[in-house]
Amino acid sequence: MEVMLTVEGLEKSFKDKKVLKGISFEVRKGEIMAILGPNGAGKSTTIRNIMGIMYPDKGSVTFHQHNGKGIPRNKIGYLPEERGLYKNVNVMDILLYLADLKDYPLHKAKERALMYLKKFDLEGKEKVSVEELSKGMGQKVQFISSIIHEPELLILDEPFSGLDPVSQELFKEEIRSLADNGTAILLSSHQMNLVEEMCDRLFMIQHGQKVIYGTLNDVKTEYANFKCTIKGQNNRHELERIPQVVRVEQTGESSILYLEKDVGPGNWLKQLPNEINIHELNINRISLHEIFIDIATDKNLMKEGSDVHA
Amino acid sequence: MRNSLKVAKWEIKRNMKNKTFLIGLFLTPVLIVAFMFIGSLFGDDSEDLATEEVTVLVNDQLNIFSSLEETVSETAFNMKLEKTDISESEVEDVLKDKENTAYIFMDQRAVEQGMVPVYTSEEINPYFMDQIQVFETPLKSNQLGNLGLTDEQLAIISSNISFEEVVSSASDSSTDTDLEASSPPFEKLIPGIFAGFVMLSIVFTGMAIFQSASQEKKDKIAEIILSSLTPGELMNGKIIGYFVLGLIQTAVSIAILLPAAIWKIDFPFMEYLFVPELVLYLFIAILGYLLFAAIFVGVGATMADISTAGNFQGFVMMLPFATFIFIGPVFSDPSGLWAQVGTYIPFTSPGVLLLRLTLLENWPWLEVIIAIAILLVCIGLFMKLAGKIFKVGILLYGKNASPKEIWKWIRA
Repeated sequence: MEVMLTVEGLEKSFKDKKVLKGISFEVRKGEIMAILGPNGAGKSTTIRNIMGIMYPDKGSVTFHQHNGKGIPRNKIGYLPEERGLYKNVNVMDILLYLADLKDYPLHKAKERALMYLKKFDLEGKEKVSVEELSKGMGQKVQFISSIIHEPELLILDEPFSGLDPVSQELFKEEIRSLADNGTAILLSSHQMNLVEEMCDRLFMIQHGQKVIYGTLNDVKTEYANFKCTIKGQNNRHELERIPQVVRVEQTGESSILYLEKDVGPGNWLKQLPNEINIHELNINRISLHEIFIDIATDKNLMKEGSDVHA
Repeated sequence: MRNSLKVAKWEIKRNMKNKTFLIGLFLTPVLIVAFMFIGSLFGDDSEDLATEEVTVLVNDQLNIFSSLEETVSETAFNMKLEKTDISESEVEDVLKDKENTAYIFMDQRAVEQGMVPVYTSEEINPYFMDQIQVFETPLKSNQLGNLGLTDEQLAIISSNISFEEVVSSASDSSTDTDLEASSPPFEKLIPGIFAGFVMLSIVFTGMAIFQSASQEKKDKIAEIILSSLTPGELMNGKIIGYFVLGLIQTAVSIAILLPAAIWKIDFPFMEYLFVPELVLYLFIAILGYLLFAAIFVGVGATMADISTAGNFQGFVMMLPFATFIFIGPVFSDPSGLWAQVGTYIPFTSPGVLLLRLTLLENWPWLEVIIAIAILLVCIGLFMKLAGKIFKVGILLYGKNASPKEIWKWIRA
């Protein structure tokens, strides 16, 4: 796959605080690349540096397929985290203005605007003033404004925040179909379930540093160990004595046993002591969501895995 | 530049579709016209009366009516002389329901006691009593004639003694100009007033840049816009856009004011408007706009909302009004110290320059050139500073920047 965007060694400080400490990744044509991380990890700062809204202290941002200097603004679509539109103008006017700023032909922009408004259930709203739209409608209009000019690279900062499940699904489908049509997509999010379902590759960031970078499958096999959830009254120390258990979390009658990296679930189950009280048992891989929470709260769940990796 | 023009076009379109702007656009000149009329309804009785004709009825027992008429015709007083036979006792009843009417009794009392009774209606030209002093001369000569003097003697006695200043020819021209300076010729006054009006109009419309720049932050759209263009292009676009809006405001104002002015002011000022001086005046007016626009757009970008403007921002808002401090001193002495100080301070320079150039016959070219040079340098400087402030400030959502922060951005 062609590489559209390369970010290398990005560093940025605000006052004395270093918020980006050498961020490197690339975005390829036709793929969805996700930047994940808790609030304040540096996701939006990274994106703003790519968009030239801020300038990095160190490092480089390279747009391939672009010969000129600077940022090929007309080929990029951008949906910032802080959403807003001019209030006292109508929907079509602002969409056409934003398309015009991207040098996109007006008659085509109008066609596409109407097409997308219909797609997003906003048919007939083109003459409505922006301030009369609900928050969700406003977000849809913003999303349309970021894709109306058929960008080659689409950067979405928290595209799903504040959307209801139906709209989330709509956005997801649209983003997927854009990627399938060859658009390179970089999105940031902290909604793991959505990201897990749609992204091809991910870059997890914490305290301005890379934590995980790779394809979704790689990440899962690399980092997502097995965990075993047991319901029933059990002594914590007894559970901890079971071989290959890294850590035990207990809440009420439910205990979660985090297992070592190379555990084979079948073999591990066979060696469970008989005295353990089991009402219910299930064994599965740690989800992206849990990895994320783990990183965000600086627990040590991942330590082993990432140490091995590093 | 192309992107700036797109922004400018958008700002114009957005405002022209905005009801608030449209109402303001038409209301401003209508208010001015309304005030012109309200003023004439209440305030200036005297002004109206001063020009109204006074009917003067003369009970002439001295037979000097013809010389009185002659005297009046030599003055520009709006007086109509008529003869009357009415007696003093009837006068008050007759005057009760009359306006701008006066009765003068020229009889022996004038010759013997030097006293002429004048009865006037309640409403009368306030200058009337001063104006009728001109009758002193014909009365005096009548008095002297009665004393049996010959015409020659009369001529000598009645001629005034005047002190004539004899000046060397070298300074002749300067006295000439001083004389003319006291009453500026119309070809300077009219375009001066016009340019002043244009400047006020575009600077005040330009104050909306303030609103527009902080609106960008309030609506949180700055980042979307900046993903398509540079902060500099956005800023310039706003400055150009509001300049055009200012011109639209000016045009609409003139369209509404001009018919009213032509009707109210009986004077062919259109002839004096399009003179070469107008070009320089308008150039100064535009410089004034650019200076304030740069300041407004920069400071506007530091504010989250116009209603939360701090002291610093409020102070900057008042800058265009600084010119008004100088109006009094400049009027009383267009070449004085105050006038010169005002010329060199960039914030007051455009206004003071316009005022001085309008008042002065001989233009102080050196001062004008220095002042314009200072203005140009300041505009360049402020545009640059505004650009720096705008770049950072516009993305600082929901927060006012402190002067300390602004200083940091400028140094960055």
